[in-house]
Amino acid sequence: MANLSVNLCGIQLKNPVIAASGTFGFGREYNELYDIGTIGGVSTKGLTLEPRLGNPTPRIAESRGVILNAVGLQNPGVEHFISYDLDWLKSTGTAVIANVAGKTLDDYKNICAKLDGLVDMVELNISCPNVRSGGMAFGIKPETVEEVTRYAKSGLKNTPLMVKLSPNVESIATNALAAQKGGADCVSLINTLTGMAIDIERRKPIIANNTGGVSGAGVKPIAVRMVYEVAQAVEIPVVGMGGITCAEDAIEFLMAGATAVQVGTANFTDPYAMPKIVKGLNDWCDKHGVESVSELTGALQLNQR
Amino acid sequence: MRDYEAVIVENKQIADNIFSVTFRLSETASVRCGQFGNIAVGGTHLLRRPIAICKVDGNQVTFCYQVKGEGTQKLKTMEAGTRVNVLMPLGNGFFVDEKETKVALVGGGVGIFPLISVLREYLGRKEISAYIGFRNKGAVCGLEEFEKADKFVAVTDDGSYGEKMNSVQAFAEDLKKGNRPDVVLSCGPTLMLRALKKVVEEENIPCYVSLEERMGCGIGACLVCVCNLTNGEHARVCKDGPVFNANEVVL
Repeated sequence: MANLSVNLCGIQLKNPVIAASGTFGFGREYNELYDIGTIGGVSTKGLTLEPRLGNPTPRIAESRGVILNAVGLQNPGVEHFISYDLDWLKSTGTAVIANVAGKTLDDYKNICAKLDGLVDMVELNISCPNVRSGGMAFGIKPETVEEVTRYAKSGLKNTPLMVKLSPNVESIATNALAAQKGGADCVSLINTLTGMAIDIERRKPIIANNTGGVSGAGVKPIAVRMVYEVAQAVEIPVVGMGGITCAEDAIEFLMAGATAVQVGTANFTDPYAMPKIVKGLNDWCDKHGVESVSELTGALQLNQR
Repeated sequence: MRDYEAVIVENKQIADNIFSVTFRLSETASVRCGQFGNIAVGGTHLLRRPIAICKVDGNQVTFCYQVKGEGTQKLKTMEAGTRVNVLMPLGNGFFVDEKETKVALVGGGVGIFPLISVLREYLGRKEISAYIGFRNKGAVCGLEEFEKADKFVAVTDDGSYGEKMNSVQAFAEDLKKGNRPDVVLSCGPTLMLRALKKVVEEENIPCYVSLEERMGCGIGACLVCVCNLTNGEHARVCKDGPVFNANEVVL
């Protein structure tokens, strides 16, 4: 048995496998299939100060090897989460990461203040491609990334802050540095890539929002490259995601420099994807004489050119 | 709810572009009529296909599907013996109250298949009238099941089989003749459900409809497949539905 636990900004995770925001709700549904206390952490559905109804349907489409979604941050609001879901989610034993979004800088500060000390970590969503106001607007330019991170951080005294980065930018490494400068304790990447899928019979985009965020197995090489670039640039830990489907995929991200990983779309294809990845990580480590999974972080050796 | 590793027993065409696939499960599943399964077609298809459960016979489960996109195109080519993961049973399903003895089933197109599961569950225990509609003669299927109902009418949009009308018109005509059910259960295209809702609202007959929406997880976590409720809220078609009280949902 390899040691799968990892330390992420002072939070001890049982293993480096975290459910990615938006694919896992608040964990209740997947807990009907398996004990979600066996996975390292859960990043909640994106929370806002007020409840949001989200976008019209259809909200999802498929293309070979990937999916597109535009849910538009439907959520019951942060207060509802704190009252109805938080205690239950904590009781499962998984690390609770509250994913939050806002329209204004003050929104980010206020929502962080409400969650401060209640959750294990806050993940800042400044890269949702599916909401017109806010969200992604903060995630594009390094100046606004730094500013929104600083505002969010000012609402947090006892809880570490993870900033989720958008790949739809000029330089994700520059934005990661900006988040670090703004006070982020770690960064996570990649959020979805903006895309479009067209129903040629109707001559219209399949998704009601016209564009959606692309995720799933097909985006993995892009995500691995970006995780590598960011890990090279920053001092703070990196959480990698984008198309992780099996333990071997997760190991690629760890080697590229990630301390932990998030799994999203794979949960739809196989609802047991995450426990299988946890088991697969252990098996791989045992087979390769790796005593602790944390040894794999940044173990990548580039080819000499 | 479980993710069954199912084995295809039979996968055959039953009408124009309509197929019926039967899986053998490792054990008997407890299924309520109107529930569905999320079928993994594999390959480059990351999303499963949510399809209504049509028949359950011991450890064999039958789904009927229309070939529409690449996923169902692939499903159609899968031969007997192929192993497929099926997450099921999902959703709430249809439920008929004890006080309701006369049940009307109103189905259109592929919407007739979940109604077959209702028919099989309540056959002999309720007085069932079925009104089913198809585009044309080539699309007609499932008659051998609906024939078991106490009364059944099959119609087509173009009159190539049965009378030229849709299933809501067939139901409304019978209603005018005094054949009034205690409850109506329905599945079909949204336009059809909307027309039905108008008829039952005027007559004040309880009505439950099964909805279809593009889904992500299929278990209520991802909030992809929502529908609008009349109270302004959203409901998850996969978890809170797919069956809704017609009064409570915006069609």
